[in-house]
Amino acid sequence: MKKMMKTCLSATASAVLLSALTVSAAQATTLSFVSWQADDDAQGGWWKRAISKFESEHPGVTIEFTKVERGAYADTMTTLFAGGKPPHIVHLASFEYQSFAENGWMENLDPWLEKDNIDMTGWAGQSSCRWNDETACIMLLYFGYMMAYNKEIFDNAGLEVPTTYAEFLEVARATTKDLNDDGIIDQYGTGHETRGGANQYVTEMLSYLLDAGARWTNQSGEVTIDTPEMIEGLSRWKTLLDENLTPRDMDSGSIRNLFSDGKMAMRLDGPWLYPIMINGKVADQLAIAPPPLHPPLGGSSNVLGMASEISNEEKALVWDFIKIIMSPEYQRAYATEGGNTPPSPVADVSGVEKDVPHFQLLVDTQMEAAEAKVDRIPVGLEIQYGEFAKMVQQEVQRMIIENLDPADVVKVMQKKAESIQASY
Amino acid sequence: MHKQRMFDLARPSRQHWLGYLLLAPAVILVAVIIIYPLIISVDLSFQNVKLVKMGDARKPFTLINYQRLFTSPDFWMACWVTLKLVVAVTVGSLVVGLSTALLVNNKFKGRTLARLIMALPWAVPEVIAVVIFAWIFDSSFGLMSWVFIKLGITTEMVAWVSTPGAAFWAVAMTMIWKGFPFVSIMTLAGLQSIPSDFYAAAKVDGANVYQRFRWITLPSLMPVLGVTIVLVLLWVFRDFSIIKVLTNGGPLKSTTTLSIMTYDQAFGFFRFGYASAVGVITLIICVIASLFMLGRGPKSGL
Repeated sequence: MKKMMKTCLSATASAVLLSALTVSAAQATTLSFVSWQADDDAQGGWWKRAISKFESEHPGVTIEFTKVERGAYADTMTTLFAGGKPPHIVHLASFEYQSFAENGWMENLDPWLEKDNIDMTGWAGQSSCRWNDETACIMLLYFGYMMAYNKEIFDNAGLEVPTTYAEFLEVARATTKDLNDDGIIDQYGTGHETRGGANQYVTEMLSYLLDAGARWTNQSGEVTIDTPEMIEGLSRWKTLLDENLTPRDMDSGSIRNLFSDGKMAMRLDGPWLYPIMINGKVADQLAIAPPPLHPPLGGSSNVLGMASEISNEEKALVWDFIKIIMSPEYQRAYATEGGNTPPSPVADVSGVEKDVPHFQLLVDTQMEAAEAKVDRIPVGLEIQYGEFAKMVQQEVQRMIIENLDPADVVKVMQKKAESIQASY
Repeated sequence: MHKQRMFDLARPSRQHWLGYLLLAPAVILVAVIIIYPLIISVDLSFQNVKLVKMGDARKPFTLINYQRLFTSPDFWMACWVTLKLVVAVTVGSLVVGLSTALLVNNKFKGRTLARLIMALPWAVPEVIAVVIFAWIFDSSFGLMSWVFIKLGITTEMVAWVSTPGAAFWAVAMTMIWKGFPFVSIMTLAGLQSIPSDFYAAAKVDGANVYQRFRWITLPSLMPVLGVTIVLVLLWVFRDFSIIKVLTNGGPLKSTTTLSIMTYDQAFGFFRFGYASAVGVITLIICVIASLFMLGRGPKSGL
């Protein structure tokens, strides 16, 4: 009986040990990858194809691809890193990676680039991935804005596609209508997100500021808000909201859906609008034109990197995945499948127009934005961007709600921005 | 033999061990998921840290977070908004909850259905309720503004979420809708425990409806109401999702409560030390408020 007991116990112990080893081996070959684009119509498929290619080249290694909503993304990533369980493959927005890099949570990619002799010269927006003299990430998208418009609304009103702010405003006024006289506007001239996150709010108003010649900071990182150009830019934003030329308090998803449903004349947006447009209710009525505001809004969008605290073996695997993403083949697919302008200077984008008819326009606006050194994240306020954006959103809301003079608002914003900059 | 005696929980002198043993899982669970994070949070509030990672070396002790907090107008604004919301939602939930409980306590046809409808908002998940209310209070196509226009109360759409006063009341109304069934259910249970003899005696003495409510119903309900008010109050204090989804704390911080401020500081601005200080102060306020209310409840009831 004793012998039998001993045999049973040793068998159980062996089974437990074996299963523990199996689990640990399985864990070692599973790379975690969290992204807000996991089930995105265009982008999600592109990621999944890259994952399949990686897995086929690395038998026994799998990538666990998990979706986290964009609204909860920064919270989730912060919690994962803080809890010591970061995803192996780190996908972040270009305005939020700085805090992670500053904390030493992102691997310096310079040695990996050197090891494979990868020259990043000409890689669009890559300079934004430099943090504390290290390459903290690879820029995935450096974009330029376009203007989408509803041809039928334009034709019915006998309007031409605007090429300046004045014309844009005129068209927006002419196309904002209460179609059935019930006191509720049914068709808007344009649309901007004014609800939700401060980052998006600031991005939405930025086109008007840039066209007026305003910048949050100069290239040295000094705050330049208290300027006549900024007063003009804020006045334009105020006009749009005061005259209800855009729906109020809507998130960007609802705004894009409203446009693709035919209830909006014009929408200034990035390349990601196109997949929504072609699946919209009035897809045949929608067209794309160069943005009437110059320089167009553009800049860095999202980045890819790796967590610094994973093992060297895991880092090597993550680096292999990043190399697939950076390969000319996948950079081309980034354009054909996602409708985006790939950052790689060697990506073959010939014939992409067949899949994305407005592709050249995207390339042109991307280059125009890059030449004008436009980015959503102001130089010198990268790490404070969250707090800065919140401050701007509140002061601009105050301007609209309390009908304040933009000339007074810029003075307040200048002081507050300088204070935020100095507090870090 | 000695061992057998050691673990003999049936012995009168060891019977309390069984109690501890049965309580142990719950105590351990509470310690792990509540006490431990609480200690971490208190500790963080005394460090000048931004992003933190478990296991990192502790930063030097400092009171800077509390100094910043007490001199920050944003903190006092958040306290004021929280207080206003607590009062508005607690009073609103109490009035609506008590009224509906009194209503469905009467005998009438369809009472069961009425009770079910009364409890329905409590059963709806909070996020779903908020999404529904976000649509109702939509500034461009919302139902509420449409009703207001049809009734002639206003001639144009109300910007619920981008007007400070309207945003506050949109949040308060959503919370009252979500919170009143709890008051109703608790009060209904309290009403059913009041002996009918009390009312019969009062009627004989000539007491009218108001007098019966004032001198019988209300005093008898006080113990229940005391606990209910504390629970509603704590719920309003800690509630996050309704405000986050509906207004995100805006506009102009008109709906930024202490819980929203904690979130913004931690996950928006990555100031975990400062956010922990806000959390600790919120906890202290909640404890004081609970002690105050619970201390008053039973006395009033007696």
